[in-house]
Amino acid sequence: MEQVFAYPAKWWSEAVTVWLVVAVVIYVIVAIPGLYFIMKYRFKPGVREIGDHEKHGHWGLEALWTIVPTIIVLVLATYSFAVFKKQRTAPPDAMTIKVTGFMWGWQVEYLDEKGNTIKTVVTSFNPSSYEIPEDQKIVVPAGKPVKALLTSLDVIHSFYVKPARITEDMVPGRITHLWFQINKPGEYWVFCREFCGTGHSHMFTKLKVVPPEQFALWLKSETNVANKPSQIDGNL
Amino acid sequence: MREAIPVPYFGAGLKEWLFTTDHKKIGILYLTTSYIFFLVAGLFGLIIRLEQTSPGIQYVQPDFYNYLLTGHGAVLLLWWAIASHIGGFGNFLLPLMIGAKDVAFPRLNALSWWAFFGASVLVLLTLIPGNHIKMMWTGYPPYSTTGDAGVTAMYVFIIHLIGISSIATAVNFITTYIKMRAPGIHFWNTNMFVHCLIAANVIQLVGVPSLAGAVTMLLLDKYLGTNFYNPAKGGDPLLYQNVFWFYSHPVVYVQILPVFGFFSEIVPTFARRPLFGYKTMIFAVWGITLLSFMVWIHHMFVSGVPDWIRVIMSYTTILIAVPTGIKIFNWMGTLHGGAIILRSPMLYALGGIFMFLIGGLTGIPNAMVAIDLGISDSLFIVGHFHYVLGMALTLGLFGAIIYWFPKMTGKMYPEGFGKLSFWLVFIGANLFYFFQMVVGMLGNPRRYPDYPPIPEWVTLHHIQTVGAFILGLGVLVFTIGIIKGLLSGEKAPDNPWNSQSLEWRIASPAPVDNFGEEHPKVEPDYHPYKYGAPPAF
Ligand code: HEM
Ligand SMILES: [Cu+2]
Ligand SMILES: [Cu+2]
Repeated sequence: MEQVFAYPAKWWSEAVTVWLVVAVVIYVIVAIPGLYFIMKYRFKPGVREIGDHEKHGHWGLEALWTIVPTIIVLVLATYSFAVFKKQRTAPPDAMTIKVTGFMWGWQVEYLDEKGNTIKTVVTSFNPSSYEIPEDQKIVVPAGKPVKALLTSLDVIHSFYVKPARITEDMVPGRITHLWFQINKPGEYWVFCREFCGTGHSHMFTKLKVVPPEQFALWLKSETNVANKPSQIDGNL
Repeated sequence: MREAIPVPYFGAGLKEWLFTTDHKKIGILYLTTSYIFFLVAGLFGLIIRLEQTSPGIQYVQPDFYNYLLTGHGAVLLLWWAIASHIGGFGNFLLPLMIGAKDVAFPRLNALSWWAFFGASVLVLLTLIPGNHIKMMWTGYPPYSTTGDAGVTAMYVFIIHLIGISSIATAVNFITTYIKMRAPGIHFWNTNMFVHCLIAANVIQLVGVPSLAGAVTMLLLDKYLGTNFYNPAKGGDPLLYQNVFWFYSHPVVYVQILPVFGFFSEIVPTFARRPLFGYKTMIFAVWGITLLSFMVWIHHMFVSGVPDWIRVIMSYTTILIAVPTGIKIFNWMGTLHGGAIILRSPMLYALGGIFMFLIGGLTGIPNAMVAIDLGISDSLFIVGHFHYVLGMALTLGLFGAIIYWFPKMTGKMYPEGFGKLSFWLVFIGANLFYFFQMVVGMLGNPRRYPDYPPIPEWVTLHHIQTVGAFILGLGVLVFTIGIIKGLLSGEKAPDNPWNSQSLEWRIASPAPVDNFGEEHPKVEPDYHPYKYGAPPAF
């Protein structure tokens, strides 16, 4: 069996494929006859100057193109509902991290079994490049579900884990959540996708997915909390 | 009483234009203003597009970029996508299509226009460097209450003025339709444009107060220290989003319904055949209107609202595809068996319909909440609504401008310019918006002046910029066509398209007193789409 790259990206891509197939089929069913009518039923002086003016409705047809689309969209919505439940429900063995957004970066806290913070990673704002210092990457173990609890210190931000195809806003005064699992070690993009001001397009970092043993070692090492931006001191 | 002005209305002097209460002149004032604002905001779009071409900051700093994007969004949505057809075509056509002398309250109508004009002046004032608004047209707090967001108050006052104008217009149009129809015009032989216009104005009447409330609380929070949206003092930023989208979702139907009206006027005329499924069309319009107020959470699928409400509104949202689909099928049904003439208004209308089909089909993944979690706030969304607004709506408006140009100006729009501009706009816009959706599917966030140099993204951004400039060229050609038509266009006959609809029974340009008497005589079997005779051209 082929290894799944990431969750919930797998289900998301399947849903996109389903939609795309349905959309292309509907497009063809509607557009091709439409184009054909445009070519066929042309005005020709002396030959075809008026259109059929008897037929201006057909209850059977009109009922058909009301009922069939209704069924199609209800099926699609229900399918999406089923996927949505999986996307929103983290597996019970998920590890939890706390992510807090600020203008413009994230603070990520790793917790022990009792829920105490044992390590913190803080990204710093870099308006001129997309390079990320090694100690500002969010490190997670490969093959393990990660549940992220999200909030914000100032304005609304969001947390988009690109490889997992999942987003959720970070709202001050609220705790929101998402979960993901990446099976293949590597480095992947994380972006803020909710408009949060001048630095919005540079609110990014990388997710560094490492084998579980390496993650355990990393968790015990130094944190980068020393370069925590002063603006968030005292608020945490 | 409004005195009748004897000058042919295009020869009217400045004083007459300033003090006019004539629905046709007010319509033209609205349309001209919106068109100029469309050009300016379109130019903003091109600059934004240029900046996105390559990674890195090349032409405009993020700060100014955010102002351009805020202006682009707000002006195109409120001026081009609403004022042009409600204030512009709505004013011009409503009394003509129902056989009335004017709207019900001509002076209130003038007030609407001047409130709108005030809002336009405020928009121009934001061009002054210290006055920039940089919080995007959505203006979400808490960001919009920070200094980084720019002059929030300007935004709020713009919305207030536009709101006054919209509510007054809505009251006026709805009353006009109910009270001032010529004897013989009734619900089942009213033009589709009028049905759509009235439905859109019902949405305005119900919705605008909600938006006005949202931004008023914003104003109080930012300048007077209240805490509606401040979580530190028990407020809630999501309150704003709920109240904002309660109107700002239905507003997309305010924007697109009158364009459906244009399609429904233009397609039968150039297919020489009655509109197919006229009655189901009317049900579809009102179905959309009703549903439009029950779907706003689809703008908040990732905002942190409870999961159950996301699922409910996912269903209601996707159901809107049904009445929308009915309209498309009926237009196709109108083409079947027609005697189709591909004049430029028809090209624009057909182009608009085919692009609306793409706009609609790409709306479905936004309604499917499972997919939306992966594409929310990405350029996919922007590409999708550009298919609807930048294509279906814009092509529809261009078609309408050419179609009613004779009635407004007494001249014909030059056909060559119509055809050429259509192909340029159509090809350019597809290149641009299609690849905007693709790069969004690949994860590119929206509202990003800069992005990391991911190779596929860069290629896709290059294609978009090429498309955008072809599109820009098309708009330029179209605009030159307007000027050429005004200056040296062929003189228009009264009914150049041989339409059956009422507004074509009077002279071109429309005389000051419309039908001359209170109401025209409408024969008992009048129907705006009663085609059956060959056209005269
Ligand atoms: C002249 C052709 C146009 C060009 C070159 C253009 C270009 C753009 C670009 C580059 C963006 C930014 C996407 C992003 O990074 O977030 C954008 C956003 C947008 N455009 Fe356009 N566009 C055009 C026409 C239109 C039209 C006709 C409408 C509406 C009637 C429209 C409505 C919008 C809106 C509402 C946004 C979102 C603004 C926001 O994110 O707040 N555009 N456009
Ligand atoms: Cu952010
Ligand atoms: Cu952001």
